Amino acid sequence: MAGTAYEEFLELGEYHGRERREVLPQWIEAATRIGLNERDMEYAVKEFIPEMWDLQYLGVRKMIGAMTREAIDHTQLKEQRKRGVKLVYGIIPAILTPYQAVKKAGGDKVFVSFPDMCLMNFLQPLFHKGAPLFELAEQSGLTYGCRHCALNKLRIGLRLKDVVPAPDIQWSFGLVCDEATKVDEYINCIFDDKWFAVITRLPHDTCMAEVDDEIPERVAYLAAAFKDAYEEVQRITGVKVQDEHVAAALDDFQRYLGKTDVLIRLTAQADPQPLRGSELVNFCHPFSMPFNTGIEHMEDALDTMIEEVKVEIANGRGIYPKGAPKVGGYFIPYSIPWVDKVFMDNGVATSSSLSMIASAKQLIPPSGTDLYQNVAEQWLRMVFGMGCHVEISTWIEKVNRAKPDALLMGFFDYDRWLGQMHKMGAREVEKATGIPTFYIEADFFDDRDYSQEALRTRIESISQVIKMRKAAKERGVAGEQAVACEPGAA
Amino acid sequence: MDDVMREFAQLATDRPAELRKRKADGKKVVPYIGQFVPEELLHAAGVEPYLICRGGEPEPPEAVLDDMLRFLNPLARSMAGFYLMGLDPVMPLADLIVASQPECHVQRMAEYLELQGLPLFKVGVPQNWDKAYAGEYYFRELEQLKAKLEDLTCALVSDDSVREYIGYDNEINALLRRIDALRKTDSPPLGGYDFIHLNHYSFFVDPRVAIEKLTAIAVRLEAGQGKFVADCPRILLAGHAVAVGDYLVVKNLEDAGALIATEMMDEGLRWYRWDTEMDGDPLRNLWRAKYLDKVPVNIFQPAWRHRFEHMKALIAGYRIDGVVWYQLAYDEIYDMECTVITKWLRDLKVPLLKLETSYEYSREATGPLNTKVESFVESLRGGK
Repeated sequence: MAGTAYEEFLELGEYHGRERREVLPQWIEAATRIGLNERDMEYAVKEFIPEMWDLQYLGVRKMIGAMTREAIDHTQLKEQRKRGVKLVYGIIPAILTPYQAVKKAGGDKVFVSFPDMCLMNFLQPLFHKGAPLFELAEQSGLTYGCRHCALNKLRIGLRLKDVVPAPDIQWSFGLVCDEATKVDEYINCIFDDKWFAVITRLPHDTCMAEVDDEIPERVAYLAAAFKDAYEEVQRITGVKVQDEHVAAALDDFQRYLGKTDVLIRLTAQADPQPLRGSELVNFCHPFSMPFNTGIEHMEDALDTMIEEVKVEIANGRGIYPKGAPKVGGYFIPYSIPWVDKVFMDNGVATSSSLSMIASAKQLIPPSGTDLYQNVAEQWLRMVFGMGCHVEISTWIEKVNRAKPDALLMGFFDYDRWLGQMHKMGAREVEKATGIPTFYIEADFFDDRDYSQEALRTRIESISQVIKMRKAAKERGVAGEQAVACEPGAA
Repeated sequence: MDDVMREFAQLATDRPAELRKRKADGKKVVPYIGQFVPEELLHAAGVEPYLICRGGEPEPPEAVLDDMLRFLNPLARSMAGFYLMGLDPVMPLADLIVASQPECHVQRMAEYLELQGLPLFKVGVPQNWDKAYAGEYYFRELEQLKAKLEDLTCALVSDDSVREYIGYDNEINALLRRIDALRKTDSPPLGGYDFIHLNHYSFFVDPRVAIEKLTAIAVRLEAGQGKFVADCPRILLAGHAVAVGDYLVVKNLEDAGALIATEMMDEGLRWYRWDTEMDGDPLRNLWRAKYLDKVPVNIFQPAWRHRFEHMKALIAGYRIDGVVWYQLAYDEIYDMECTVITKWLRDLKVPLLKLETSYEYSREATGPLNTKVESFVESLRGGK
């Protein structure tokens, strides 16, 4: 039996018996380092997690356990560095294959991580406790009013709190927003001149009718930029990545991709739906951050979840009422899982995240045999890597495939690249697909400005509209069928 | 001097009407956004350039909010907003709009203009300027721009022609430096308000006319009386941009008794401290002058240490008493640089005032702004 809230948390993450006893001291130490106390633990295990997560599923609990394992590992970065382990950091969004290949090649001699992403994915969805670290960054000068990215604030906060030491090298994909890579310069300039980063950037400068990954010069440029940075990573760490490491990393990716695809499809098509949209995104973390502890724990959780979902579907069970409308999104905001909960309370299921659905083009294997060329093509086929015109048509393709009853946009107001697209693109998608889109100005990571209380009414109204439209559509279809059955109907 | 200034201002004001006539005569009108677009190349191609950098009014940034993010900076939203409101006299005439693309605000704004059906050509500017491959990317963009202009005009752009316009721009730069140097004196005959206006006018007239007017103004200023009291607080105005039309803060600073002795702005002012080489390949020279030779713009990486060295040189050279950081609202990278610079300036014991604008200049907004400005100027005066 678990005694303290710390133990209860570990139990909840499927740490039992001897393993739990062994992990407990590390967990208490880790929690303390990232600013979690016993009261936070109690709130998490007694209120927040049971309300926000579907703990009846072993797969969900195992996933929490896997995330906990990774978070504990991250609180040991300073010790790792002292032991001579080379620290390689990155930021989202990135193509993970090169990072994972470094880990495959370097083993325990290298710690490969996106620390801000890892700890954001742990602190906010499970404890709702990112704010103290955001505030630390704000006190340092990343002003509250300017709408900086909370993930970047967390990176600064973690450095200021001395949880995360300077890396041997940070390889920052600066291919979406401007702020993420400049945070490296910011930390270097005012807190830690040992914070060393190599950045990969590409201007967003394609024009209407240009398709990013079909411009050979663009692909070649990005490939050269990746090569330049990757060679720097290998030079600094002394890790030599061979083809077999890249192949092993790609294998992991493909295998995991296949499995998540199964889970997403099963969930999205099920009625009643057995899992929340935010949980689906949580299972996809291995696409957005490298796991220094390996992906096997997440994969075990995923395997379990798939089986459980199959059973639920076979038994006609779900967590939403049968017939509940499904709302898709660019990215269901898993960091603030109460959004999901409010939709659920209003009888609407959050389902597919567009960014988690592969477009037809993404399923085509890259054209070359060169790693860098392939990574460049992969990147330019992702929605964040495209100009808005191609991105809009890719969104339309994905929406037509996922067929949600409505689409929820917004939550990226702090991101001048992604956020603007949500405003500009939503109307175009609605026009092309007929699926209603709703824009909510809010923050994917940080809900201090856009609290549950502030957004509840808006979500309730949106839910009402979605339900009414779905009902009207069904009545319309029924009416059309009735007309079609009448004698003489064309 | 006032009559020449007025003439210069009138010529700049008349530019849109002149462009309509030129277009009717068959000339191509090519507005451009950002100084990574070489104005010299546009002139050399025989098109009619026009800098899009208008701001300072509250309605245009609001007008685009149905389709644009509230947290894009107000200058980016203004450029689109003036067009949307039918208040931009030149964009509707455009045969091509050339937009430099160094950062997300202007990148998304350019896409918005494309969605409105405007013809865009984008000049990508990689931010990691310390990498040779990044520099070559920008160079290729300039080559493609040249080719695009040749397509547009059905005429080749000769090196000699580019060189000729580089020469004019160098001459404008030299004149601006000459005028700017007057602000180093104890009682200069002009301050930042006039200097910024001169910069803006110079964008909107033929370069030969700009040279003529600036020469006349320089001569008169050199012979004229000082306009500022000898011991007034001397300010460095730094930030992203003082847009065309956005003069309220600049005016308030000088009305409060300070002298804007110099500026460090990435846009809105000419990069007049740096000339372009005349010998050799002119396109390569333009590339080098804009990308490598000048102090890096804020978005470049690494930039801030280089920029601070430049700022320190300005502080020493112009005997600066305090820095005013003039920031566009939600301009996140400038906001970060401000924090960095504030820290470094504190070490040098140079005071900094951060002012942020959303172009909301209602009485309610300007009241606190004036108080801030007056208090800062007063504190600098007290410290002298």
